[in-house]
Formats: sequence, C-alpha cells, structure tokens
Amino acid sequence: MKAQGRSSGSGYLFIAPATVYLAVFSVAPVLFAAYLSLHRWHLLKPDHPFVGLGNYRALLANPLFRNAICNTFVYVAASVPLGVATALAVALLVSRPLRAVGLFRVLYYLPAVCSQVAISMVWIWILLPEVGLINYCIGLFNRALVSVGTTFGADLAFLRIDTSTDFLHQPGWAMAALVAMSLWIGLGPRMVIFVAGLQNIPEVLYEAADLDGCNAWQRLRYITLPQLRSTMLFVVVTTTIAAFQLFTPVYVMTRGGPQRTTDVVSYHIFKEAWLKFEAGMAAAQSYVLFAMIAAVAVIQFALMRRGMEREDVQ
Amino acid sequence: MRNGLLYGVLILIAASTVLPFVWMAFTSLHAPNAEPPTMANLFAPDRWHFENYTYVLTFRELPIWRFALNSVVVTSGVVLFQLTICSLAAFGFSRLQFRGRNAIFFLFLLTMMVPGQVLIVPLYLIVHRFGWLDTYWGLIIPYQYLNTAFGTFLLRQFFVTIPRSLDEAARLDGCGDLALFWHVILPSSRPALATVAAFAFIWTWTDFYWALLASSSTTMRPLEVGLSVFRDAYGVTRWPLQMTAAVIVLIPVVAVFLAMQRFFIRGVVTSGIKG
Amino acid sequence: MRSLPILGFVVVVIGGPTACRDDTPGSGIVLRVSDWGSPAVESAFMTVERELQEGFERRHPGVRVRKEQIPGPGQYAPKLCMMHVAGSAPDVMHLDASSAAIFIDNGVLLDLAPLMKNDPTFDRSHYFENVLDITRRGDAFYSVPLDFTPMMMYYNRRLFDRAGVPYPKDGWSWDDFLAACKATTIVPAGARQPTQYGYNFENVMPFWMPWLWTNGGDVLDPTGTRASGFFDGPASVEAMRFLTELMVTHHVAPTLAERAALGGDAFLNGKAAMDLKGHWMLIDYRARGLDVGAVSLPSRTGRPVTVIYATGLAISRHTRHRELAWEYVKYMTSAAVQIKRVASGLAISGNRQAAAHYAADPADDVEHAFLRAVDYARPPWGSRVENYPYCESLGEEMMEDILYGATSVEEAVRRTAGLMDAVLSP
Repeated sequence: MKAQGRSSGSGYLFIAPATVYLAVFSVAPVLFAAYLSLHRWHLLKPDHPFVGLGNYRALLANPLFRNAICNTFVYVAASVPLGVATALAVALLVSRPLRAVGLFRVLYYLPAVCSQVAISMVWIWILLPEVGLINYCIGLFNRALVSVGTTFGADLAFLRIDTSTDFLHQPGWAMAALVAMSLWIGLGPRMVIFVAGLQNIPEVLYEAADLDGCNAWQRLRYITLPQLRSTMLFVVVTTTIAAFQLFTPVYVMTRGGPQRTTDVVSYHIFKEAWLKFEAGMAAAQSYVLFAMIAAVAVIQFALMRRGMEREDVQ
Repeated sequence: MRNGLLYGVLILIAASTVLPFVWMAFTSLHAPNAEPPTMANLFAPDRWHFENYTYVLTFRELPIWRFALNSVVVTSGVVLFQLTICSLAAFGFSRLQFRGRNAIFFLFLLTMMVPGQVLIVPLYLIVHRFGWLDTYWGLIIPYQYLNTAFGTFLLRQFFVTIPRSLDEAARLDGCGDLALFWHVILPSSRPALATVAAFAFIWTWTDFYWALLASSSTTMRPLEVGLSVFRDAYGVTRWPLQMTAAVIVLIPVVAVFLAMQRFFIRGVVTSGIKG
Repeated sequence: MRSLPILGFVVVVIGGPTACRDDTPGSGIVLRVSDWGSPAVESAFMTVERELQEGFERRHPGVRVRKEQIPGPGQYAPKLCMMHVAGSAPDVMHLDASSAAIFIDNGVLLDLAPLMKNDPTFDRSHYFENVLDITRRGDAFYSVPLDFTPMMMYYNRRLFDRAGVPYPKDGWSWDDFLAACKATTIVPAGARQPTQYGYNFENVMPFWMPWLWTNGGDVLDPTGTRASGFFDGPASVEAMRFLTELMVTHHVAPTLAERAALGGDAFLNGKAAMDLKGHWMLIDYRARGLDVGAVSLPSRTGRPVTVIYATGLAISRHTRHRELAWEYVKYMTSAAVQIKRVASGLAISGNRQAAAHYAADPADDVEHAFLRAVDYARPPWGSRVENYPYCESLGEEMMEDILYGATSVEEAVRRTAGLMDAVLSP
C-alpha cells in the first residue's frame, strides 16, 4: 500500500507558525523595501518622490555597480563548487569508522563558530607578505628546498617561491584569498550537513552493493550521490545564497579594493545605505541582488529537482 | 596503511583550521601595545600577559557577565523558537498534502534569498512599533527570518529521506499527524535537528549588526556587541586585546559544541526498519 | 532523552524576557545620552564620565542619566539616523563635527539659540569661538562644544636628537619636512626596507586631507557643492603627489603593506619620527614613554592651516525633556566639570577656562602648540556638507589605487573628483 499524506487542513496548521512569522518579519519588510526602491528615499529628508524604475535604470547604467555584479558572480562561481566539493570530500573521509573522528569534526567546525569580524582580522595576518602565515610557510618550503638541494648537491634555489606577495593588495589575489577564506569557514557546517545526510543512507544499500562486488568509486556514484540528492540540493542552494551576500570580510579586510576587484554588491548596498542614507537606492540594489540570487537558485532547483521527485514517490 | 594516509589528510586539514586559532590565542597573551606577532615570536613574547584577560573581564565600564547572560538568553530563545517552528513547518511540507504546498515552500525559500542589508531598516521600524526595542523580545524574535527559511528547508530535505515505511507502521498503530511528528519523525532526525540548532546558535551568538541596532542600553547588549569596544580605537589597532575579546566570545561556543558533539551522531533510522 | 536540555531552555527563555532592562525607574525621568564607542583607551575615562553623570543626578534628584553607547566603526551616525526616523532618538547626543551636517541640515537637532538667549547663566564667550562656530548656521547654534582637537604634526624628540636634526618650528616648509623625513629614515646596510621611517602616513582621509590645505588647495569649492576644479586643481594634485612620493619615491614613509606588518601605528611603536594626529594620541604616547613635541603643519602658503575635529553636545529636536537636556548640556560643558573630564588628556576642552587650566604650565609647549592652532584652524567639511563621509571613502580608495601603482595621480584624482561631484549633487 502506497503511503499517501492525507490531504487535509492539518498541513496548514503545521506550517502556520512559521508562515505567520515570515509574513510579519520577512515578507512585510521585503514588500516595504520594494516600495522604497521605487522612490528617492533619503532616510532623513521629508520628501520621497516617486521615481518608478529610475533607481534601477541608474544602477544598471553605473559602471561601478556593474563591476560589483561581475565580482559577485566571479566569487560565487568560484566559491560554491569548490566549497561544496571539498565539504563532500571531507564528509566522506570523516564518516568512516576511524578513531577520534568526532574530534576532527569539531576542529573543522571551529572557523564557523567564531565571529566573522574576528576571523577576518586573523586572516589579514595570515595573508601578510613575509610574516603572514602563508608566506611564512612558503618560506619554510623554500628553506627545505634549499637544504634538500644541498644534500643532493643540486641547486634548487630557482624553484623557490616569492614570499613577498601581498595577497590582499594585489588584484586577483585578493579575490582568491576571499574564496579560500570562504572554503575554510564553510567547511565545517557543510561537512556536518553532508555527514548527517550520509548517515541517513541505509546500510542495506551498501551491503547489497558489496555483494555485487562494487568498488569504492561505483558505490560513490551509484549509491551515495543519488541518495544525497536532497542534501546536495540544500547545500548547493544555501551556499550559493550565502556567497551572493558576502559582506563582512570585504568590509573588514579589503573595503572593495584593490582597485575595486573585491567590490561586491552587498558592500555597495552598505555604502549606499549607511554612508549616503539613500534607502531607496539601497533597496533597489538589494532587489537586483535578490533577482540574481533567485535566478541562480531557480536554475539549481530545476536541474536537481528531477532526482527529488523520484524520492517523493519512494 | 591506507588508514595512515587518511589520518594524514585529516590531520593536515585540522591543522589548517586550528592554526589561526592557536595564533589568536597566543596573540591574546602578548603585550597589549605590541604589533601582531609573527610565527617567529608568537611563542616568545616578553612575558605572558595573562592580565589581558582580567583586564577585559573586569573592565569596569563593561558588565561582561551581564553581556554573557544576554547572549545566553537570546541564543537559547532563538534556538528553541527555531527548532519549534521550523520542524513543524518542515513536517507539514514533507509529509502532508495540501493545496499550494510547493508554492508556499518556494516562497519560504525566496525569503532566504533576500539580502539582509536593506531589510534592517523596515525591520527596525516594525520592531519599534511593537515596542520591542531594547528588550529581549526584540533581540530574539525578529532577525531570525533568515534562520527560519533555512531551518525549514534543511529539515524538510531531511524528513523527505526518512523512509515512508516508518510512517506506515505508525499510522497502522493509529497515530495522528501530531503523534507521527512527535514519535516518529523527530526522533529520527536528531542529526538534522542538532544541525539546525547549531546554525541558529552560531548565527545568533556572533551576530553583531542586528544586536547593535536592537539594543540601546549597555545592559541589554550581548557579548559580541559589548566587547566590540576593543575593536574601536581611532587608528590604534590593539591586536592582542582584540584577540582577547574574540577568544572570550569564542570559548563558550566551543564548549557548547564539544558538549553537543554526540547529537550529531546517527539516529535510530536503521533500527526502525529492522524493527 | 530531550527533556533536560529542553527544560533548561524553557526556563531560561521564559525567565529571560520577563527580566528586561534592569533599570526600573519607579518614578523620575530618564535622560538618554548617546555616545560612540569608547576610545578603548582606558576605563579611566569612562569612569570619570560616569562620575560626572552621577554628579548631575545628584543635582537633579529623580533624574537618571542613561548612557547609550553605540560602538562599531561608522555605526554611530547610521544608528542615530534610524533612531530619529523611528522617533526613538536619545535626548542628548554627542555630535561629531565630521558627520554633523547630515543631522544639522535635516532637522534632527534642536536649535539651541533660544535656550542660550533665555538663559542668563549661559555665556557664549566661555567657549572657543572657532569651535562653537562649527555647528552654527547663521544665528542658529546646534551644539555646545565639549572637546576638540586641531590636527598637528607630532615629532619624536628622541629620534630627532639621534639623527641630529633640529626640531621643527612653526612656519616650516614642505622642504624642511622632507629633509627631516630623509634624515630620520634609517635603512640598515643590506636591508630591503627601513627600520625607521620619517613619517607615519595613514590612508585615512581625515588625517591626510589637511595637506591639501597647506598647499592652498582644497577638496571642495567654497560652497561645498563641487569637487572638480578643487580636488583635482593643481594645488591639491601637487599635495597628493607629494604625499605619495613620500612612500613611492623617497621611501621615508611606510607603504601600506609595510604598515600592516608593523601592526599599524609606526609612530606609536617608536619606528617613525613624525605623525599627523590629534590630541587624543597624547595618552597613548605618554603611556609608551615617548617624548613628543607638536608643531603646526608645514605649509607652502606662508600661513599655517589645519583642521579641527570636535565633539559637541546636541539636543534632539523631539526630546520630551528639553529643559533638563539643556541643563545637562550646560553642566557637562561647564568649566569645573570639563576640567575633570579632560584630565586624561583625551582632547582639549571646548571651555576656555578648562583648556587654560591644562595649559597653565609655560613649559608645556605641546599644549601651547595645540592652543595656538585653534585660532587659524578650519572646520571639517563634514560639518557643512552632508555626503562628505562618502567622499572621504572615495578619496581613500583613490589613494590606495595610486599607492599600488594602478594609475597616475592626475588621472586618479580627476576620476575621483568626478565621482565626488556625483555624490554631492545627484
């Protein structure tokens, strides 16, 4: 007998608290922000003339804003696939019955529980030229290279890597640093979700696969990944949404530099709203960002939804 | 041998996540006016300045224990609230049929995609209208709109993977919806619930901007905002003290995580099937 | 399984919100005073403030002064703005001159002139006129000076002695300055970068903007509505080029990367001979045991010039305790209270008598140097022009671009002037 949820009003009852909550604290402000975006609305000035789509037109014509949109897309395109893939890989590692696995999980989670501001400050140090952690490790590597070279009588000095790269102040490197930072911070939470998802996969399936003589790769491809579809969709979508809204590291570390290569849309919104007090324009910028996020999320859903439907009918 | 390699990789990753915190902890013990230490002198300051901690903890104008209490109250409130409404909603979306189900779920997801920045202004006005500014309600209830959609989404994806066979068994026993929710779905979802709780905890504990807005009096400030005073010198970056403050805010979280670690371990799904 | 933690949560959550703010004024008035994040210098200053506030409470029984501190860089003005919009602004506000325009010109503050006129105990001449005028609009006054500082050039006497350079004197020129920088920059043989710099340059526009003035240039035109022609005028460009050459050509000031590695303030760490800062740094300098002197900025126009950054006390237009707020303002800016308040040396009191109290020692030439500057110092643009803080962030971005060699000075300045124009008159 196929189990079917009863079609009844009780569904409405269950979702009622969350829906009412969101209606008041999310939908209402969102609608008000839409209203704001159609006006010139300075927070302190009394007149708020209606400008229709004027704000949006001005935005899209503004080369600085277009640059911010590009930067945001670049960041998302880089950090989401990398972030999800590394989290999955680590989750697989950490789901094995190894000793002290619990300790590792907690350690990987550490960056996520710290306040973003403190983390950003620590990363400023990590990225310093010469004395920062990364350049220091490169220096160690260089020294090791040279001593290995001398033991074998070869001059490996030419392989040395320069330790004077100022990551945060070179265009290109700054964005790479932000992507690396997002991987580092997001590893823990994403890994935990994948781990929970992995644990939900019934052992029976793996046992059957073993009987059929599947190797590790086949197990991954034919059992693990399909079973993880719901979880995967969740991680991908939420990581993407968060990536579009990157703010604190930019604010603390780069301020949109160097040469506006890390100027992302949310930083623009911040400056518009809190340095110029132009709530209308800030709202319009937020809606552009919203549209970008929603478009990408819809695409992701469409791509991954087919698998989900199969599961619903299970 | 293979296990050795595996351990090696795990340890390497752990080193990369932990090392910066080691730096943070050691920096917090350097002289308050010192420059940020390099790896060379990290472990060799003039002396260990443990008094940095007493300085921050007993800074007379900052009621640190009150800050800590505020953080605890607000965070617990948020976690409880989130767990309740998200799990209820997720159950509805995953197990029950009703008209417009998918549409409403998608609307939930949409709320997650709205950038938080600009919503702060209308949200502030709404909260002020409710008279909740500078109260615990104002700190607990409003800013979780992000959490709610997130939590519902996560739990829903989870609930969907719980085998229907459990449902069937329960219904045969005569369970109604609520009983199904309470006795079957929730117990099978400990890892997911723990995850939602963990996220809500972290986001609330480290939240700065909303907490700053919604609280005016010093006595209502949570830890993150209260200690941000050490970040704010005009042109003088006192790394050690800032790290001290950061460590202080961090320690309770780590402690809670270590304690809650076991909740992330697998639930009773398989035993349900075999039973 | 879940009972105990859940029970714990429930108890805390139900108990929590019912215990709201702990101050319960049964009867009596609460006067709300807002201030930005503490200077994080010492708790001593905050303690003194609180004692002074308690003094006020004793004079006005039944009144409680509640200080609302708004920490976070750049969070003060936005949050005050929001509070005003919601109608929940505090009664008295600490007003920073650099961001005062947005409040003054938008009706957030009460015009204090009527209160001043009708109050025989208030005398305007008690305050430095230049400072009082910062928040004046014709006949309307929007704040009473609390404390202020002109920006001066500090020099480290010991480093100058060691280099055998005579101390700078008022009226010195850019060439004198450059020579002093070069003489006090030390690059050990074979080292890649200096171990001691001549000048601690910081890319904070409020700190480097006065250089434009010392060359006869300016950021904006006299009406404050336009940057082109002024920010990109020849005098201003020359000043900015001079500054960048300190780092790029002469290597007498740390580059941005070198600054980061030094942990920020090279002068404070005794690794730079000069710095352009305000009075507040004296506390840190003395705590470090630095022997500093202060002198007016090197000028090319033959006349000294600098900027004043000031804090005043303002009253919110919608306060319900107008007279009480006025009493508080008078109290906090009165000579006796001010003498106690600026004892730490954080700034110069806006009250002449209190300022003179700390300049009583004729040998204290640092204090005298500062006081001499009050007469010729100019108010910051932020006290007159609303979107000036945004212009400052544009200026800082531009400076970074130039310092990283991305563009030439002229090009960067011209482009930034255009961006500033767009912000000033959209």
